[in-house]
Amino acid sequence: MVSEEQINRIVQSYPAERRFALAAMQDMQHAFNYVPEQGLQALAAHLGCGVAQLYSMATFYKALSLKPKGRHIIKICNGTACHIRGSVNLATGLKRELGIDPGETTEDGDFSVEMVNCLGSCALAPVVLVDGTYHNKLKLEDVPGIVEHYRAQDAQEAREAAEQGGER
Amino acid sequence: MDKTYQITIDGKACTARHGEFLWDVAKRNGVHIPALCRSDRFEEHRACCRVCIVEVTVRGRTKVVTSCVYPVEGECQVVTDSPRIRQERKVLMALLAARAPESDVIRNMASFMGAGEGYGRLKPLDTGKCILCGLCVQACESMGTGAISTVNRGTEKEVNTPYGMASDACIGCLSCANVCPTGAIEYQQDEETRTIWNRTFPLARCSQCGQVMDTVDMAEFETCDECRKKAIADQLAQAYRFV
Repeated sequence: MVSEEQINRIVQSYPAERRFALAAMQDMQHAFNYVPEQGLQALAAHLGCGVAQLYSMATFYKALSLKPKGRHIIKICNGTACHIRGSVNLATGLKRELGIDPGETTEDGDFSVEMVNCLGSCALAPVVLVDGTYHNKLKLEDVPGIVEHYRAQDAQEAREAAEQGGER
Repeated sequence: MDKTYQITIDGKACTARHGEFLWDVAKRNGVHIPALCRSDRFEEHRACCRVCIVEVTVRGRTKVVTSCVYPVEGECQVVTDSPRIRQERKVLMALLAARAPESDVIRNMASFMGAGEGYGRLKPLDTGKCILCGLCVQACESMGTGAISTVNRGTEKEVNTPYGMASDACIGCLSCANVCPTGAIEYQQDEETRTIWNRTFPLARCSQCGQVMDTVDMAEFETCDECRKKAIADQLAQAYRFV
């Protein structure tokens, strides 16, 4: 998962200037699904600033997480339109399906659920964004299907990976 | 020579240099403006407690500004205690008192400014003395240590070390605790050690008189200031003994 080599590659790809701190942390978030502690330390050493300053940034921005996020990130839009059309019900539905509240990650590390403010697709409310795919005009009964879809996709990938491993 | 302006503060004629902050001009002329997050130790001010608001009239227009960061750039009339300012300051103090219910400083200031009553709708926090002004973080950074910072945002915001753990960067200098306007940063000290920010530092003692100096992490010399002064004085006395 998190390798020192990969952290160094991300850190070294930026000049040693404070203004690149956020970009480097975003890269780490992208690569590891969170910003690891070793990552903050390596970046602080590279930029010549304290770990505390980077930690402050990492806790300030919602886009950065200090705990590992799930493989699939489910973002429930809670903008005005989605809120009125029942985004909170979708959150309840997801809780029934996955057992987690918004802001949490399932124990198997498959899913993270987040409430976000507005995804800019109000005409399609209520909207749920899973790994960059929009699921729109959702009803409560659609929720299990979506979760099942991603679980099936994961299972399929795992099977293919096992088969490839078997062929070799 | 810098440009200077003739301004009035509460009717008193004062001279201000171009770009000088209003709070400093007032202080120089004996006008006290209350403030919490302002410290003489720094050139840059936080302007976040906002208690130092005053009314400034420039070319017939009146506005409310934070005096600690308002540079004088022309003739102006300043009122530090108008009914409007008093009312706004009262609200600010009521909010700060709800934020830091355990702070004596804040409670006294709030009751002095009349913010003790009439603000029952503000539900105070359960505990805490911190008003999140960030002076401690500024002090820590100015020491070159950078061990603490503001963490999280919104209602969760607090001052802490990374991950809330003992920080390698901290040297136990107490700059943060000394600069805090409300005494919110706690530390324990006994004969041998000092504990702050979840870390315990051994204390260094003067090799001559045995007095406690600082933590071992920050001690530059083996002897305390007094003993060093005395040693230098003795040397000088020796050097000039025939004069």
